[in-house]
Amino acid sequence: MKALLSALLTLTLALPVAAGAADYTVQPTASTLGFAGTFQGAGFNGTFGKWTAAISYDAAHLATSKFDVNVDLVSAKTGDKDRDTALPGADFFNIAKFPQAHFVTTGFRQVGAQVIADGNLTLHGVTKPVTLNVTFKPQGTGAVLDVAGTVKRLDFGVGGGDYADTSVIAADVKVIAHLQLAAK
Amino acid sequence: MSLRSDNRRWGSVARFFHWITALAIIGNGIFGLLMDLAHGPMQKINWLALHKSIGLTVLALFLLRVLWRLIDRRPPDEPGPHWQQLAAHAVHGVLYVLIVAIPLSGWWFNSVSGKPLQWFKLFNLPSLAAKNENIADTVLAVHEYLFWFLVAVLVVHVGAALKHHVFDKDNVLRRMLPFGRPRSDL
Repeated sequence: MKALLSALLTLTLALPVAAGAADYTVQPTASTLGFAGTFQGAGFNGTFGKWTAAISYDAAHLATSKFDVNVDLVSAKTGDKDRDTALPGADFFNIAKFPQAHFVTTGFRQVGAQVIADGNLTLHGVTKPVTLNVTFKPQGTGAVLDVAGTVKRLDFGVGGGDYADTSVIAADVKVIAHLQLAAK
Repeated sequence: MSLRSDNRRWGSVARFFHWITALAIIGNGIFGLLMDLAHGPMQKINWLALHKSIGLTVLALFLLRVLWRLIDRRPPDEPGPHWQQLAAHAVHGVLYVLIVAIPLSGWWFNSVSGKPLQWFKLFNLPSLAAKNENIADTVLAVHEYLFWFLVAVLVVHVGAALKHHVFDKDNVLRRMLPFGRPRSDL
């Protein structure tokens, strides 16, 4: 009897957790992961063509929600020949040594109406905390997820040496993602 | 020291525009030819940014100079053969066209290459044309050929000025010199 009670108790306690955040599959053709920087006073936009994201989210169960994103840095394109030649090189992403970037959330916070995701970004061999603004809109059985955050490129040694001059290449790089999600 | 030109001499404003433009053109021309000596891509980016900023300054100075010419009466031609006066005016006309055309062709090249254009890191200027890398090499060639044409015209311009100064010993160069005085005995 005692064992049964404790088993029931465990089950009821565990249920809300198990029924917490829902898992989603990213619809790649309708989803984008991009970034925006500033060079010589002019903004430019870039996109990553190859990345994967494991999304588990529920606005009512933020504690069990999780984003886990892997990005193939070689797939970065900005529409400028010189820049796209420089980005994979040793001075920037150094993809020969660090082919991927990885972001994983460590927790979510509700600040007013805004949900903020705290996480760790590993880029160019450096792991540092990065926060993202999260906008999650359920849509049928799936959802649309928009995230935006700012990465300080020099924190990760991206564009070091001569390229560290932030009067030419701005320090802040915005990261923007638009994900079309389907229920798993 | 008069701001405006008089019958004997170019005014100090006209002389300022002449010599600052001369310095900028010669300096920026040599600088442009030395671009490939930059150590690494970032230095080249910075050198090119400086080259563009100086070129834009030449263009801006030219616009101010033309405005000033509308206000300021230029000194009458020095006495001399009519053909020399005509030739001098023709050379000045070509120089004015090149002072505009060379920076504009550089701006055009920058635009079709899809690069930003910033004036001494202070503000950005718009593109003159849509990005089109297919014609970028041709536009760069135009920029360079215009420069070499300028060099040829400058040889005539400077050569004639020196000829007047050294052989004819007249006031043609003297009245444009930054600190010299026109000869009063002529």
